[in-house]
Amino acid sequence: MAAVARKHSRPPAWRRALPENITGWSFALPASVIVLGLGFFPVIWSFVLSTKATNGFGPEQSVGLANYRELAHDQEWLDAVSRSLKFTLLYVPTTVLMGLGLALLLNQKIRFIGFYRTCFFVPFVASAAATGVIFLYVLDPQYGVVDNAIAWMGFHRQLFLDDPDWALFLLAPIYTWTAVGFDVLIYLAALQDVPQDQSEAARIDGAGRFAVFRHVILPAVRPITVLAVVWETINALQFFDIAWATKRGGPIDATTVIIVYGYKLGFVQGQAGLGAAVACVLFVGIVVLVLLQVGYARWRKLDVV
Amino acid sequence: MKKIPLVVAAIGVAALVAASSAGARPAADKPVEITLWHAQADAAQKAIHKLVGQFNKTHPGIVVHDQLGSGGDEMVQKLQAVIGSDAYPDIAYVYGSDVPNVSQSNKVVDISKDIKKAGFAWNSLYPAGRETATVGSKVVGFPAVIDNLAVVYNTKILKAAGVAPPKPNWTWSDYRALAKKLTDSSKDIIGTGYPISGSEDTTWRLWPMIWQQGGDVLDSANKKALFGGPQGVKALQLLSDMALKDKSLYPDQSSDSLKMYGLFESGKMGMVVTGPWQLQEIKDHGISYGVQVMPSFGGSHETISGPDVYMVFNHSDERRAAAVTFLSWLHQPAQDLQWDMQTGNLPLSAKTAALPGMKQYDAKFTGVDLFVKNLQNAHHIRPPVAAYTSVSVAVGKAIATSLLGRGSPKDTLGQAAKTADKALS
Repeated sequence: MAAVARKHSRPPAWRRALPENITGWSFALPASVIVLGLGFFPVIWSFVLSTKATNGFGPEQSVGLANYRELAHDQEWLDAVSRSLKFTLLYVPTTVLMGLGLALLLNQKIRFIGFYRTCFFVPFVASAAATGVIFLYVLDPQYGVVDNAIAWMGFHRQLFLDDPDWALFLLAPIYTWTAVGFDVLIYLAALQDVPQDQSEAARIDGAGRFAVFRHVILPAVRPITVLAVVWETINALQFFDIAWATKRGGPIDATTVIIVYGYKLGFVQGQAGLGAAVACVLFVGIVVLVLLQVGYARWRKLDVV
Repeated sequence: MKKIPLVVAAIGVAALVAASSAGARPAADKPVEITLWHAQADAAQKAIHKLVGQFNKTHPGIVVHDQLGSGGDEMVQKLQAVIGSDAYPDIAYVYGSDVPNVSQSNKVVDISKDIKKAGFAWNSLYPAGRETATVGSKVVGFPAVIDNLAVVYNTKILKAAGVAPPKPNWTWSDYRALAKKLTDSSKDIIGTGYPISGSEDTTWRLWPMIWQQGGDVLDSANKKALFGGPQGVKALQLLSDMALKDKSLYPDQSSDSLKMYGLFESGKMGMVVTGPWQLQEIKDHGISYGVQVMPSFGGSHETISGPDVYMVFNHSDERRAAAVTFLSWLHQPAQDLQWDMQTGNLPLSAKTAALPGMKQYDAKFTGVDLFVKNLQNAHHIRPPVAAYTSVSVAVGKAIATSLLGRGSPKDTLGQAAKTADKALS
């Protein structure tokens, strides 16, 4: 009897939860507004812009999906996509593998380890514009340190970033240099979680260093590898800052990757609608690619993302 | 409890202040404030700041705030970003080639009536400047600087190579032969250079070479590209032969042609095609130089004048009038001369050119008198159409491709003409 009475006197579950929900939402609201305002609104707005013909100054004219149809027949757009894919294929594996390798090296109890770790993280914090300008100087065919060293050793001077055949493939390692610090950081964090007893047990069972790496460490950091690959793929497809700071998409169009092309269309050639269409296609492309990657990882049970 | 009345009082006071300031008509004691975005650095920035200070002192009803809007190349991007909000400037320094594009904004209105009201003699300005500041029937601003291209050569390098300075009737073959003679790889000296960053600085240098041969950039309706014709191919062939066969022309990929000018100013380049804007810097580097008009293909020595414009953006009748008052003052011969003296820019009107102070100006900048005279060799202006920016990008790419030996001038210009035709249709 008493128990039943008590049950009746309690308010229903949803009413009990209400005050808690309000408190919760009031904490989450400011951040949600910022995320919606700065994240979702521009995406929607750029989609709306992509259905218009406008130069960003003048009258807007709705053209439906004409901008997208134009892209489908645009050889320069297809070239830009192909450059971005080449860049991604070169950049993502090197960056993730280097991140893991450096993290293994830096995961040791030696003197000044904090200093070494900082060294690899500094380029990640430095501004891309500054990095771009520094590499422009270092690799300059006339005044650059590298070319002077090559000439001093008696070899032919190289054009480096001035060479249309090489510029894109040189930007990939430069971008790796600036970005690898992040991968090192997350791998270092993951390596702290690798159970010591497992490595020790493996060693006692006679496993060599490589076997420990292959069978203990690698499986333990798999979720982080999935995260790193997804993260760096997004970065590679959105690559813009260093390409613009160094060569403005040149020489000729050699470093005009997707975003550089969209930027040129929208802000240099006065075709803001077409530029927005480029951004939207890239957005959808990235979402699809990331879903595929994550789906594959789930299917192979590689992850906990 | 105590806090609430305080807050109420604060709101009350704020409301009162707002009401009183909203109620007050633009009183004589409250000056009109306007913003000028210039694109000047170093000496030119100081010069414009000084002029604005003088104006503010002598015009108590108006306060002009001069700010560095951006470098000239990026001004359009910056304007695009602010034009939708209320933060756009009253006046901005815009490259002539961008003026038709920016003019499509509804913030750009015809200011010819304001100019009349300000009592400014618009027709005293040189026609090239007036034409660039006029889009269709709308006057959208005042010319900011007028320039033109000529050849500046290093007299020491010429002397060391034992050659005479170019004569006024020289040809492009003379230019090529001279560049070849001046090139000396043992001393790291190259004959001349050409910017191939693909920006408008790459493109506009080709136009006078086409005009000289009787060709044109676009047809008279501005609907079809003509630059891919035999005149354009001949001009680009000459440049690419110099770059690839003679190796006497340095194709400069840097933005703003920084390396080409850097080589010339460090005595590593024999001659450079440039405008009067570069003279101050060349002087500062202690280079002894001479100036000669553009070479010809046997006849005309036509050059190109690419005036930049102080575009006026409409906030209110009052602010627009203030902007025009300021620009009218800035374009009076005395102020014009002061600006030219400090920057090496050319006078904007014949009235300025007739001032006695011009003698000091000629003495200060060796060869600047030739640039002034060379204005008479500028007969065409760039096609004043919004799609010009797309044309410019296509041609810039064609020139870069040919000078790097990745495509024959006929192919690259032909491809660019196709792209241009599409943009113009």
